[in-house]
Amino acid sequence: MSESHAAPDQQIFIVDDDEALRDSLVWMLESSGYAVAAFESAEAFLAVYEEAMSGCLVLDVRMPGMSGLELFEELGRQRCTLPVIFITGHGDVPMAVSALKRGAVDFIEKPFGDQDMLRLVEQCLTQERASRSQRRLEADTARRLEHLTQREREVLDLIIVGKLNKQIADVLGISIKTVEVHRARVMEKMGAHSLAELVQHVVTVEPAGTVR
Amino acid sequence: MTEIDDPAQAAPNRWYWTAPYVAVVVFALSMLALVGLLQTRELESQRNAVARDVQWAEQTMRLHMQGTEEFLGQLARDLAANALDSDAFQLRANQHIANNGELVNIAWVGDDGNVRWSAPFDTTDWLTGESLSVQQTGVFQRARDDGRVSYGEAYLSPRGVTVLEVYVPIRHGREFRGAIVGVYSIERIVRHLVPGWFAEKYRLALLNANGETLAVNSMLKDLDESIGFEIPLDPPGNGLLLRATAFRTSEQLPQALPTILIIGLSVLVFWSLWMLRTHVQRRVQVEKERDRLFNLSLDMLCVVGIDGTFRRCNPAFERILGYSPAALPGTPMLDIVHREDVAATLEQLRLLAAGHPVKYENRCLCADGSYKWLVWSINPVRTEKLVYAVAHDITGRKAAEEALRAESAFRKAMEDSVMTGLRAIDLSGRIIYVNSAFCRMVGFDEGELIGAEAPFPYWPSEEIPVCARNLELTLAGRAPSSGFEMRIRRKNGERLDARFYLSPLIDLAGRQTGWMASVTDITEPKRVRAALEAAHERFEAVIDGLDAAVFVSDARTDEILFANRAFKAIHGFDAVGRTVRGVAVPQPERGDYRVDPRSLTVGDLPRELFDGELQHPLSGRWYHVREQATRWVDGRVVRMGIATDITDRKQTAEISRQQEERLERTARLITMGEMASTLAHELNQPLAAIANYCAGCVTRMQAGNSKPEDLLAAMQKASFQAERAGKIIRRIREFVKKSEPRRSAVQIADVLDDAIGFAEIDSRRLGIRLIVDVAPGLSPVFADRIMIEQVVLNLVRNGLDAMKDVLPEERTLLVRARDFGPHAVEVAVIDRGHGISEDDRARLFTPFYTTKTEGMGMGLNICRSIIEFHDGRLIVDANPEGGTIFSFTLPTEAASERVARRA
Repeated sequence: MSESHAAPDQQIFIVDDDEALRDSLVWMLESSGYAVAAFESAEAFLAVYEEAMSGCLVLDVRMPGMSGLELFEELGRQRCTLPVIFITGHGDVPMAVSALKRGAVDFIEKPFGDQDMLRLVEQCLTQERASRSQRRLEADTARRLEHLTQREREVLDLIIVGKLNKQIADVLGISIKTVEVHRARVMEKMGAHSLAELVQHVVTVEPAGTVR
Repeated sequence: MTEIDDPAQAAPNRWYWTAPYVAVVVFALSMLALVGLLQTRELESQRNAVARDVQWAEQTMRLHMQGTEEFLGQLARDLAANALDSDAFQLRANQHIANNGELVNIAWVGDDGNVRWSAPFDTTDWLTGESLSVQQTGVFQRARDDGRVSYGEAYLSPRGVTVLEVYVPIRHGREFRGAIVGVYSIERIVRHLVPGWFAEKYRLALLNANGETLAVNSMLKDLDESIGFEIPLDPPGNGLLLRATAFRTSEQLPQALPTILIIGLSVLVFWSLWMLRTHVQRRVQVEKERDRLFNLSLDMLCVVGIDGTFRRCNPAFERILGYSPAALPGTPMLDIVHREDVAATLEQLRLLAAGHPVKYENRCLCADGSYKWLVWSINPVRTEKLVYAVAHDITGRKAAEEALRAESAFRKAMEDSVMTGLRAIDLSGRIIYVNSAFCRMVGFDEGELIGAEAPFPYWPSEEIPVCARNLELTLAGRAPSSGFEMRIRRKNGERLDARFYLSPLIDLAGRQTGWMASVTDITEPKRVRAALEAAHERFEAVIDGLDAAVFVSDARTDEILFANRAFKAIHGFDAVGRTVRGVAVPQPERGDYRVDPRSLTVGDLPRELFDGELQHPLSGRWYHVREQATRWVDGRVVRMGIATDITDRKQTAEISRQQEERLERTARLITMGEMASTLAHELNQPLAAIANYCAGCVTRMQAGNSKPEDLLAAMQKASFQAERAGKIIRRIREFVKKSEPRRSAVQIADVLDDAIGFAEIDSRRLGIRLIVDVAPGLSPVFADRIMIEQVVLNLVRNGLDAMKDVLPEERTLLVRARDFGPHAVEVAVIDRGHGISEDDRARLFTPFYTTKTEGMGMGLNICRSIIEFHDGRLIVDANPEGGTIFSFTLPTEAASERVARRA
């Protein structure tokens, strides 16, 4: 537990039909201080899955019923952002490669060393943390953008494309003074401390093409 | 049945019939003779009477005339004597005329021929002073000359009266003083000189000498010319004849009457006889006919007494029941009645006794003991105390009725079981009959259909106009002979296609009473036909889509009857109609055929003629040609040929066949490879678990925060997984044991032959000479033949592959077998290839190591395992002449047995 760098809400979800492997994995990961939840089948996992889950997923490729690959695809359809590590047997390498191409983080071949597994898990959790905070920021920005007035929005759009206050005033047919007032309010409403920060926030939410 | 009219019987009849006629004729003739005789007699007597009467009349007349002569003589004498004056003359003359009616005039004619006096005084003829005519003068002169009374000829006076004059001369001495003339009226003579009864009886006629009738007393009555008499009247003479003809007496029967009567009566008798005869003949004929009918009748006719016994029976009894008609009379009728029918028959006979005609059916016993059904019709005639009975054999009818009932039941059953629906409509289009098949077909009951009129309940609502038009055509008699195809709505709403065939419904009298339709459900046939059509289209599409050239030709004439598109494309689009030999190349030669197709008959078919691969002489392309004799659609024997261009396929097939063989031959090796893979996979699971448990324990122990019981549990689980791995390995070993090689005594030469056989294909392809050198008299080895074959093949192929880049003349591979010591055989595969480097040779038997791009790297390794399994050795050496030598040894059978015994 001392080695774990996981955030408190992060959890490792293991889906494997082989009881021994599942149990030993839980044992090994818990030994390293991770919170672990194990499921004996893809269906069992899907039953408890919710979007708010955070952490990473360790999937056995070959399982009776829904295979690991099918579960991975199903989660993709549900816009799941959990990173996935596949465990493959000897003959499953091509399958794992195709999974990798579809966005899985990595695969690990049985039998695997504990260090390899732990490294992969840690990598996944870090990645998941980063992407989660990024998503949170985006959501925040989007919410702030909605609070802007029509005029403020227009002003913002022009700021983003790099117009000066004077130019904005000309375009919108208002005085520079008014532009400055709007600008200050936009900065305030968007919670940005600098022009660069403002632009970065907005562009992550609204990629450049969509900006008017 | 025989004709009864024989001549012997007819002759007396004829005599019998002739006698009355003869008698009548004889009678009539004798009567006629008698009558004739009587009449002759009577006539004779009548003639006599006439003669007598006429003589009497003549005498009377003569007397009268003589009296008148005397009177006239007296006058003449008185005149001569001058004793007579004119007045006296007048007086006496008038008196005489008055007394004698026949006298008309009396006159005195002087000697000069002039009339002096004339009486009566009122006469107009003999006027005083008139002179005599020349005729009168003649008679006057004769009287003067003769001095005697002279009569003149009778003549017709100017007053129309025939008169006769008598001249009496007056003589006084010798002096002639003329003559007294008396003039008689001839008519009066006849009328007045005969008495009345005479006049009534006869016609009295005076005829002159010339036969001319001068006067007759009566013209009124019919005369009987046969009874007459003539007598000369003299005086006056001069040929005067007096003729009397008897009158036909009215009260007297005509003479012919008796004759007529006799003849008439005879005729009457004849006629009545004839009628009688005709009648009798007719009666006889009728009786004969009745007899014949009685005898000929097909029905049994009999007369039965009131006591119930037969009196007379016709021959039909013999024919139908077998009893002789002669034997039956006297037999009681009930004797021949079936025991079960006696009561009913008695009932009928009682009715009969009461005088009622009866008709009933019963069974009667035949002479041969069988029974026949008879229908009796019996009429009693009470006055004759007889009954007349007619019996008709209805056994046949009964049987026929039975048969008809059976037939009817059969027909009904047939109608019910027939799958074709039958529906009859009358001429107005009303349904009058449907069979059960039709009801089943449309799903309506018979009751719902009979009497229905258009639109019928089974017409689908969407096709009523079509159905109505079809019905119209049917009723107009213009239904097509191929029938109608119609859609039918079943009661449950389903639709089905049906074909209606229509034919007129004709009753016994030959009149058409309606239309009968036979209805077939063609839903299935239609679907089948559509499917067939589709199949045919598909067939054509397929045949035409084939790359192979297909043709059908007459076996005898070789004329092409059918060719598909590919054939036409290759051999010309005008191929059909020409001969195969003329257009198609390549062709099997006549000798190539298994049988001569021209000699085949339909019975020999189908027969394969040729199946082989032919190369086109010019293009060099290969064709797989397959010809078969088969039966064409019109029944004749045809040759069907399919030529497929297999040039490409031949090449690829060659390659794929090699691959196939390789695959097959290495199947067991692959099984081993898979086994290894499975082993690895299965073992992964417990091994990974063990690793995890151990890693977890290590981590916790390093961290120092481990609880011993946790670690213990994990370690227990890890050891359990180790056991599991052991079990897996055991299982695999068992599997391997099951597929252990099957070793037996094998001649190594045979093994090599088989292996080389496969390898030769590759060697030819690569242009490598393969030499097999087997030492004679080698002992059989104890080995699994297939496995060793695999090893040899593997080694040979390796050798072949190694020589791919070698000069063609050096491409030689030698397979050599020879004894290796007393208990083993050595097989060496020696190539002249690129050889193997020292490095490679060291790794040669490492699994998954290969120098070949397509290899798995399992071959040599497994080969060595196999050989070692067989207690042999596989070694590799460099060939001193370049290349490599792989050699292995195998123990002989005897050696293996020794080893086994030792073990």
